[in-house]
Amino acid sequence: MATVHALTDALRPGRRGPAPGLALSYADEIKLLRSPRRTPWRWLLVVGGLLLFLWLPTYLGDPGLRVLALCGIFALGAIGLNLLTGYTGQISLGHAFFVGVGAYTAAYFGSDHGWPMPAYLALAALLGFVVGGVIGPFALRLRGNYLVVVTLGLVFLGEHLWNNWDSVTGGGNGTSLGAAPMTVGPLDFKQGLELGSEHYTFEQSFFWLVWALVIVGALLAKNLVRSRAGRAMQAIRDRDLSAEVIGVSPARYKVGAFAWSSAYAALAGALYGLLQQYVSPGEFGLFLAITYVAMIIIGGLGTIFGAIVGALFVWGGRSLIEQNSGQALFDPLITSRSGEAGIFTIGELNAVLFGLAIVLFLLFEPRGLAAFWFRIKTWFLTWPFSY
Amino acid sequence: MLRRHRRLRLLAAFTAVGLLATACGGGRDDDDSASDEGSGENGGAPAEVPGFDGETISLGVITPTSGRVAVIGEPLTNGNRAYWDYVNEELGGVAGQYPVELVIEDSAYDAPTAVQKYNDMKDSVVMFNQLLGTPIVNALLEQLTADNIVAQPASLDSFWVREQNLVPIGAPYQIQAINGIDWWVNEGGGSADSTICILRQDDPYGEAGLEGVQFALDELGIDLASEATFPVGNPDFTAQISQLQGAGCEMVWLTATPTDTGGALGKAAELGYTPQWLGQSPTWIGAFVESPLLPYLQEHYYWVSEGPEYGDTSASGMSELMRIQEQYAPDQEPDIYFNFGYLESQAVHQVLERAVEMGDLSHEGIIEALNSIEEFDFGGVFGNYGWGAPEDRNPPRANSIFEVDPNKPIGLGLLVEEHEAPFAADYEF
Amino acid sequence: MTLPLPAPPLLATITGDDLLQTGFSGLAVGCKYALIALGFSVVFKATGVINFAQASLVLLGAYLTFNFSQTWELNFYVGLLLAMAGGALLGVVIEALVLRRLVGEAPATVIMVTIGLLFVLDNVVTAVWGPDNHNLGDPWGIQTREVLGVTVADRDLWTIGFTALAVLGFFVFFRYSTLGLAMRAAAFDSEVAMAQGIPARRVYRVAWAIAGMVAALAGATLAAGASQLSPATGALALVAFPAIILGGLDSPLGAVVGGVIIGLVQQFTALLAPEYFDWVGESFERVSPYLVMILILLIRPYGLFGTKEVRRV
Repeated sequence: MATVHALTDALRPGRRGPAPGLALSYADEIKLLRSPRRTPWRWLLVVGGLLLFLWLPTYLGDPGLRVLALCGIFALGAIGLNLLTGYTGQISLGHAFFVGVGAYTAAYFGSDHGWPMPAYLALAALLGFVVGGVIGPFALRLRGNYLVVVTLGLVFLGEHLWNNWDSVTGGGNGTSLGAAPMTVGPLDFKQGLELGSEHYTFEQSFFWLVWALVIVGALLAKNLVRSRAGRAMQAIRDRDLSAEVIGVSPARYKVGAFAWSSAYAALAGALYGLLQQYVSPGEFGLFLAITYVAMIIIGGLGTIFGAIVGALFVWGGRSLIEQNSGQALFDPLITSRSGEAGIFTIGELNAVLFGLAIVLFLLFEPRGLAAFWFRIKTWFLTWPFSY
Repeated sequence: MLRRHRRLRLLAAFTAVGLLATACGGGRDDDDSASDEGSGENGGAPAEVPGFDGETISLGVITPTSGRVAVIGEPLTNGNRAYWDYVNEELGGVAGQYPVELVIEDSAYDAPTAVQKYNDMKDSVVMFNQLLGTPIVNALLEQLTADNIVAQPASLDSFWVREQNLVPIGAPYQIQAINGIDWWVNEGGGSADSTICILRQDDPYGEAGLEGVQFALDELGIDLASEATFPVGNPDFTAQISQLQGAGCEMVWLTATPTDTGGALGKAAELGYTPQWLGQSPTWIGAFVESPLLPYLQEHYYWVSEGPEYGDTSASGMSELMRIQEQYAPDQEPDIYFNFGYLESQAVHQVLERAVEMGDLSHEGIIEALNSIEEFDFGGVFGNYGWGAPEDRNPPRANSIFEVDPNKPIGLGLLVEEHEAPFAADYEF
Repeated sequence: MTLPLPAPPLLATITGDDLLQTGFSGLAVGCKYALIALGFSVVFKATGVINFAQASLVLLGAYLTFNFSQTWELNFYVGLLLAMAGGALLGVVIEALVLRRLVGEAPATVIMVTIGLLFVLDNVVTAVWGPDNHNLGDPWGIQTREVLGVTVADRDLWTIGFTALAVLGFFVFFRYSTLGLAMRAAAFDSEVAMAQGIPARRVYRVAWAIAGMVAALAGATLAAGASQLSPATGALALVAFPAIILGGLDSPLGAVVGGVIIGLVQQFTALLAPEYFDWVGESFERVSPYLVMILILLIRPYGLFGTKEVRRV
């Protein structure tokens, strides 16, 4: 045992010397990345992730990149929702409304009025922030399940608004974003980036844009969370009455959480509109709201990285199910209802598999993928004492 | 016990990773996969292009096979399937040589899913045989235009008429309303003094019906007495029926789907309100024949659509449709959506034949073939569609009126064949 | 793509008869919502979980009634009772297999699991019975009778009757039966209840069984008459959410009162909005229940009859 331990010493870098991974000051504690010597694995992950981000579009085909771009858009929205639900404890089903706000802002200002991309993206986030701030005060009065259904009402109000405000949203027909410019300085994302002699497609360029914004958004959120405001939010989540007693202002932080999460959602919505090139009211309904909640719950409430992984798992997983359900394994189950044997149509089978995946995953790991990951990490770190 | 749980969790972890890994399927085939040497000489065998490997032609279908629209999507797709089975087996394929393969994907009636499926498929199909759902078609229209691919939208909206990349068939909803109103006022029991109203869904489909009604009434010099709207899935129509009853409507034009037709007319029957109802083609479903509403429907409801009665073999297209249905889709009950699916495939077939003739099955070739067709002929089941370049397209302008007859297939018997209002040709698309 | 629409014509004036008729229809629709809301309320009261899968239980109940009374050709009421039994059985199965393992988890997680169940059940139902429309074959059809000058559909009378019966049944059950008392105790404080010897598991199971039964009843009333049975039948369950909230999540009486209020609000909005408020857009009745709910919550944040949460520092 001692020999094994000695031999594998090098694999457990945090344990060399007198606990080099130990944080000895507050500043050290809240650093995102300490020196490579002390946290080599984390550095590896970060550098590897960045390299993956840069390299992946040159490897994957366009359809796969589209799926991942959509995952990135969902991740951005999920980070916002996690700020609200995971860190501040306000469960909201209204995220889809703010996504719609962002999408229609991009459509109206970008496509109908031809504003440049940084302008309408920023405006989308700003509008989301403002509208979220307006909705926030409702959270002060309502708690738990009551808040859930009120935010659900917001989604329906939103649908009604998109359907009827014809001059801005095009009504039930929806509106196109085809005319929206997608250039930032010399970079044109719509035609595809041209860097040096290489020409990239729309999907490749858009992937980079979306995931760059995800990285920026994640950093922003992480900073928010490890700051004083973040601690206040978590205090409200854990015991809001006590938090109020010790001086945390619930009004400021609950409303602020709503505002920030809506800003993320609106930005995600604007990007969504740009990817799809067309938005209509039906896309911002209950199903989208449920998808976002599913992402943060399966990803793990209360972690930024959980939101991203949840988005990849839920949307990527759903796409995977759809792509692979046509395979031979499921043939006996599938029918086309024109005389073939079988029980489900492809669409029904996809939905059933998706639902089953959610249920089974949450039965085995109710606290989400992030908790799962921490469990694995702890197992490795504490080996051979990992019981 | 703990160990087993842990192993299960590890298993789940690796599955998750594996799922992500398999998502990155295949390397990036360097672009320009669309080798555009498809512009072969006229009459030569078409070159290989995306969707055509020299032997088989692939057509895309994006349709909901689950959810509440599956009741339309499934018979539609069965119609597609039956038609192409017939072409492959009896004719040997397009131009007698190239069998057709349908690539069917589920859209779940959800725009982002449909867009994703479209992007997955666009490089492996020649054109799309069916896209169901106005929001789906709207969302995909941008992409279709950008990628220059042609698709058949499975609805009678008027927006599709002037789109280069779409192959609509059938007289649009507005024309149905125009012909229906004109017929009723002049021959069906109404007059220039009648009170005419409309009950419609609160979405673009409903608005299409309203446009047609308004156009017809303007031409006839009658005012629309009342307009009642309702949301899809409305649980109780008392308010709407009260409104129509209060306005004294003698005839009401109905733009709805079957479930709401049942709700609205059921409530009207309960409240003792008996105007003449004229419904657009999507308002009917065969199940009404067994509904308690049947007597009311028989007396007060007419259905507006196109073509002859189902089973009337004097139209050549009809007898062939019936034969093909019996042979290739024996479990399918007579269904208006099956017929539509069959007919849209017929249209696509004509486009493909022309494209093969011109020797070019690439996306651009399909567009050229499409614009060079002068008229789509449906053997009398649907009206012939004047074709050509998008600006020249002329949808059929006549509709047939049916009454409810439980003894006929689908429960509908022909009342008036191919009525065309004198001003129907004036409606501009 | 927006095309110019003609201006809406002048609408006829609304008569007193119309208002009376609308009031009755509001009551009838409200009772449908009430039956759905009761199912939510029972499960929440016993387990603290908002059960999104209630909508599929409603759908299943409707299809089971159809299956027993039409496909198996039993008497309609027998078929309805069997459907209720089937619903109860499914509720118990769901609780035993799935929900029991999630006791104590974050409420958001449990809600998500019920949503996953919703996907599964909805599609299993359409897979088994097909996507086509069917007729329920109820004996009420579109018959009507005159009551106090108002034309009343038999189907609506039966819906109101069922709701009243359900409320009475709940009252008697919770007040006078041992199991009902046990449920109330467990809902109040499950740990103390268990210490007193009340089997929490049985309580949860009974709650889910009751939810399944009430759902079957709701489904049958939804699909009866000229409305056809289709996969969309369960969609109405969404509108029941404002009903349970404004009545108070853990109060069955609140669920019923909430349902009736929502039904009345919807019907009167549908009648009056096009005439007096047409600037608000079409089909405002889809949204007005939520607005009413928000208004009531601003005054009473726990709903009309909900128990106020005691918060300790």
